[in-house]
Amino acid sequence: MSVDRIVELGQALRRAGLPVGTGRLRTLAEATTLTPKDLYWAGRVTLVGRHDDLAVYDRVFRELFGFEIHDFPGKPPPEMHLTGTVTEQDMSVGDTLPEMDVPEDVKMASRIERLRRRSFAKLDAAELAELSRSIDRLRLVAPVRRTRRRVGSRRGDLDLRRTVRRALRTGGDPVTLLYRTRRERPRRVVLLLDISGSMSSFSRALLIFAYAALLADRRWEAFTFGTRLTRLTGVLRQAKPDEALARAAQEARDWDGGTRIGDAVREMLTRYGKGDAIRGAVVVICSDGLDVGEPELLAEQMARLHRLAHKVVWLNPLQENPEYQPLARGMAAALPHVDLFASGHNLIEIEKTCAAIGRL
Amino acid sequence: MTISSPRELSSRLEEADYLCDDGLAVGMYLALRMHRPLLLEGEPGVGKTEAAKALATALGADLIRLQCYEGIDASQALYEWDYSRQLLHARAIQDGALDQDSRVKELFSEQFLVERPLLQAVRKGAGAVLLIDEIDRADDEFEAFLLEFLAEFTITIPEVGTVRAEAPPAVIITSNRTRELHDALKRRCLYHWIEYPSIEREVAIIRLRVPEAEPILADAVADAVARLREMDLSKPPGPAEAIDWTRALHLVGAPPVDEAAANDTLGWVVKNREDQDRVGADLAKVLGLG
Repeated sequence: MSVDRIVELGQALRRAGLPVGTGRLRTLAEATTLTPKDLYWAGRVTLVGRHDDLAVYDRVFRELFGFEIHDFPGKPPPEMHLTGTVTEQDMSVGDTLPEMDVPEDVKMASRIERLRRRSFAKLDAAELAELSRSIDRLRLVAPVRRTRRRVGSRRGDLDLRRTVRRALRTGGDPVTLLYRTRRERPRRVVLLLDISGSMSSFSRALLIFAYAALLADRRWEAFTFGTRLTRLTGVLRQAKPDEALARAAQEARDWDGGTRIGDAVREMLTRYGKGDAIRGAVVVICSDGLDVGEPELLAEQMARLHRLAHKVVWLNPLQENPEYQPLARGMAAALPHVDLFASGHNLIEIEKTCAAIGRL
Repeated sequence: MTISSPRELSSRLEEADYLCDDGLAVGMYLALRMHRPLLLEGEPGVGKTEAAKALATALGADLIRLQCYEGIDASQALYEWDYSRQLLHARAIQDGALDQDSRVKELFSEQFLVERPLLQAVRKGAGAVLLIDEIDRADDEFEAFLLEFLAEFTITIPEVGTVRAEAPPAVIITSNRTRELHDALKRRCLYHWIEYPSIEREVAIIRLRVPEAEPILADAVADAVARLREMDLSKPPGPAEAIDWTRALHLVGAPPVDEAAANDTLGWVVKNREDQDRVGADLAKVLGLG
């Protein structure tokens, strides 16, 4: 294949959104001299680095070279169904501060303090945005787990490496014994946020919660669900809060319609539960538990989640009402598999929950 | 040993009891010729690790495996000193005529060095296939360290010196995609996603790996496994499970593969209780009997 064709393929892939750098193209050029008959595969192993991009590669390749690939049974990704989005406007700041005769900063501080106590359901978009900028980081210290890595310490196991080194000073007699212990690391936190119709007044606030949480620790994961599951981790790691939240809102396209919590938990476990993403993590579910799916399925999946995760926390904003009883079928089915059941309907409550999670 | 085309590599792998698809053959061939690592991803059980083993057999090379896990560090991947022998030796030589410098030199010499996989691979060079298994389990920092290693294939041991591979070993990296790997590492690697095999290929794989089973048993298992993969199970069976299941069915006297035999051996192919309940209720359909 001529270099021109390689460059053409590279440009077509870039137009389709694949990050194909010059280095990769050079690799392909070298590869085609080695195995000129296998252009499709040579291009695939050199230009694509992610499973998600394979379908795009197949399409572009077919358009450019015009033949079908029979050996690759790749399935196209499921169609995303758009039922409503949060606009940029929703996520940006409004300038509706009421005029008062107080210094600006005091006004601001007391205002934020008020917003922190107000239920998320009663905040308008502008207030929410204001609040979001006041939480730069979520103060959540997750419970720790021990890692394989060891560090020097006063007690623990004998650190032979350092002891031997020290022993050389004393003619091979290990006079001073040095110890080491396993390092501790905070557990990963996985957020699973309900953004269905019944939760819509809380959903946007929950996104802000997720954003602040992901800033606190980059190993955390965030998902949203209504009728389907969306992984938001990547989008929420964007640098600018407004932009990140707007993009997250676009990504999570489930703002209305019923909640199928059991399906969402199952999908999360099936797609992400095989490795370390959920195993041993603290999973925080935010939902009112008004599930339109089968309660049996929810109970089964919650049990599975509970076995895999370290602790499961459920935030239910309906608890704002002191009369609330978790009687909804879904909620009742899930509750036996929940370690901490809390409210989280405003920022103060969320902060309280964060403290409680640290003590789990 | 030189291999001059993906086709030739493919038939060599088949002699090593591994049937690969064209993409994997091209990927491995290019990895060998271009001295680049090959990153393999795919669902559990599609044969990522097996591919590396078969490549080692096909090349007549040694397989050196580095199993990654959270918290793995350089001393587990590169080398370590044999501390207890060092201590004994230090005491043995302390009354000798050796001066301080020579003693230290002797203590940190080859005989007390414990080689870990990466050092072994560098020393074996082209005579080795280095399998870096489940890299997604290791920490980010380890990935960065690995990237540096894969670029240079040199290891510096302060007390001994720098060890360099004359010709780099073939490198296969596997990942279960539990987290996204760094772009820098991906740019360094060739990439191939191993799909579940087609039914025909699955039959061929089973017959190659379980030659004692009757052909009609292999057909029945491949059919049933294909149906299981469409059932949206939490852990769909891979070729590895298909092979195990065939062995188990053969041992209990199949064919025929009836519901009773399948039920007795179901644990070899469906390894999750909720999945088993669902499959058990629909067993006749899965077996193509209903």
